[in-house]
Amino acid sequence: MNARSTADSALMRVTDLTKHYGDVRAVDGISFAVPNASVFTLLGPNGAGKTTTLEMLEGIREPDSGEIEIFGRRLRRIDRPTKQRIGVLLQEGNFEPYLRAREVIALFASFFRTARPVDDILERVALADKARAFVKNLSGGQKQRLAIGAALVNEPDLVFLDEPTTGLDPQARRNVWSVVSDLRATGVALILTTHYMEEAEALSDHVCIMDHGKLIAEGSPRELTAELGQETLVEFSADAAGDDDLGPLDACCKGIRSDAGLVTVETTDLVTTMEALLAWSRERAIPLANMTVRQPNLEDVFLSLTGRRLRE
Amino acid sequence: MTDVLLVARSHLLTALRERVTLFWFLVFPVFLLVVLSLVFGRIGEDGGITFDVAFVSFDRTAGGFSDAIEQVVDDLATPAEAGAKPLLSLRRPGSDEDLAEFLGAAMVDVRRGRLAAIVAVPAGFDQSVRARLSPTAAPEDVPLTLYVGSGNAASGMAASILEQVFAGVDRAILARVGRFDESAIVPHRTTWVGSDERETRYVDFLLPGIILMGFFTNGLFGIPGSILFSRDQRVLRRYWVTPLSVPRYLAGLSVGHLTLCVLQYAILYVVGRFALGASVSFAALDTALYLVLAAATFMAFGFLIASLVRTATAGMAVANILNMPMMFLSGLFFPITGLPAFLTAIVYANPVSYLADGLRASVGVESGVFSPILVVVVPLGWIVVSAAVAAWRLRWDVGR
Repeated sequence: MNARSTADSALMRVTDLTKHYGDVRAVDGISFAVPNASVFTLLGPNGAGKTTTLEMLEGIREPDSGEIEIFGRRLRRIDRPTKQRIGVLLQEGNFEPYLRAREVIALFASFFRTARPVDDILERVALADKARAFVKNLSGGQKQRLAIGAALVNEPDLVFLDEPTTGLDPQARRNVWSVVSDLRATGVALILTTHYMEEAEALSDHVCIMDHGKLIAEGSPRELTAELGQETLVEFSADAAGDDDLGPLDACCKGIRSDAGLVTVETTDLVTTMEALLAWSRERAIPLANMTVRQPNLEDVFLSLTGRRLRE
Repeated sequence: MTDVLLVARSHLLTALRERVTLFWFLVFPVFLLVVLSLVFGRIGEDGGITFDVAFVSFDRTAGGFSDAIEQVVDDLATPAEAGAKPLLSLRRPGSDEDLAEFLGAAMVDVRRGRLAAIVAVPAGFDQSVRARLSPTAAPEDVPLTLYVGSGNAASGMAASILEQVFAGVDRAILARVGRFDESAIVPHRTTWVGSDERETRYVDFLLPGIILMGFFTNGLFGIPGSILFSRDQRVLRRYWVTPLSVPRYLAGLSVGHLTLCVLQYAILYVVGRFALGASVSFAALDTALYLVLAAATFMAFGFLIASLVRTATAGMAVANILNMPMMFLSGLFFPITGLPAFLTAIVYANPVSYLADGLRASVGVESGVFSPILVVVVPLGWIVVSAAVAAWRLRWDVGR
């Protein structure tokens, strides 16, 4: 945990935040600090407690215990002056289906003391040509961009994006990513949750990996993958290969695992491992189908920490 | 302030853009007002309704009582003044048509509802009447016959009108031959009770009822529908992460709802006044305030329903269950007199009854059934109770 190092420039600091639902510890004593002007990501599988954490920081839920310090004020529960300065994209949030896109933005703009012009917002989330469309007629990606627009009407200092691309097709996901990148370029701080490893890697300055209500690792994507050491991963498909087949490979590498026909070999000595693999392949007549050589990513970090994949 | 107004505008736009809501809140009340006043409103009005009646005489005696009956029926089939509708539209046999066949065909039409009634003068009718008038001859009864269809409202009304007409004819005949002393009749007259000493026209009775019905369905369905749908679909939750507070959202919702009621009222009033000729006026200050009280009561009732159910679907189901009995056991459309005791109990528990009565009393259509204090206190009581329950029970977000 290196929360201390960023504490001085932190917009928000969370200490020992806890939320229980009956016997379930949805959020189990987490602490972190969100630095200024960066993208801060909570990465974890479904049910890890990411959304519950965000809902406490957005003012929807009250923590059972713990402390939130935001914009230099210590709060138990997010109050109205704080809400003037934050923008929120809820994981499950909707708008009245029979309102037009610009009416939605105008409505939200009216909730804040200061707000940007409606057309600016629509322009910013690339919906200027859909200004007169009813919410119910917008596509999933357009709805999500409208929701991001509604989160930006007050020029917030801190923006919460809870699973901004879940359920979107690849094109719509890229559009959302580009909106987030643009936002970050303007110097706004963002808190993002996701269970997509690629999303966390592509967008984040700082990642907290969350599992079972606890933070299990923290750092920049590069720092987190570096913790796995100077490893290289070799992957190939081998549906026919059983555990017996893989046995002889143990000697030539640091670790090996097989998951649904995908064999992943971890190594610090790529040349030796490759020679051994090629010999093994010829000897057993198991082709090294779709073989790739890559550096570890956040998925591998999660896997090495928990023994599970992010999306199971 | 703009937040309240924009929440109000959102509520209003949503209601007006959704076809189903638009139908129930605006189209249906107008439709009901027009249909009910056309079907029931014309009855009893001078020149308002025309009954199809067949006339056939089997009596060939010229210049006698048979002809007198025919003359009376003819008069009823002639408009009282140019442009007015006659009471009867007559069907008669052709000059060479077989009378028995004509009667048979007419009876089929009465049974099928195409004719309201048949007036048949039997053979020997004139002779029979003369015999009755002579003090000596033993009268042989050959009655004038009225054929009417059972289960046909127009038939029943035509029959009672014709029976009254013939009773009048009978009295006139008896008076002329000195067997009937008109001065001996028990003196009577009919006076319309109510404002202006005039008859309440049905449309004047109906219009306040339909306006209240509009407010009622609007509150009963519109409020729980709006709140619960928005809550369940996470529309409201999106508001709670902004500085918008629940009281300001409520203020906006109320303004939007009352605006919709005003719109509803304006349309119904224009249709009632200018298309259907209603003469009631809602212009007085106390009437206007009372309309606001009515709209507020039904809105509060909507909040009560929203507080007591878990989902939007359940809210709509409860509203549907309450809708019919509350509307029909309240005197909105028909006077509520002579109901069985258990139904009367429902009428007395129903806030709609008090508002319907109070509004009519306020526009001077009908003297109130309930006291002027009750018609204000009972709705106010419903508002207080509903607001208290809503403050205690209504959830503004799912899962909290």
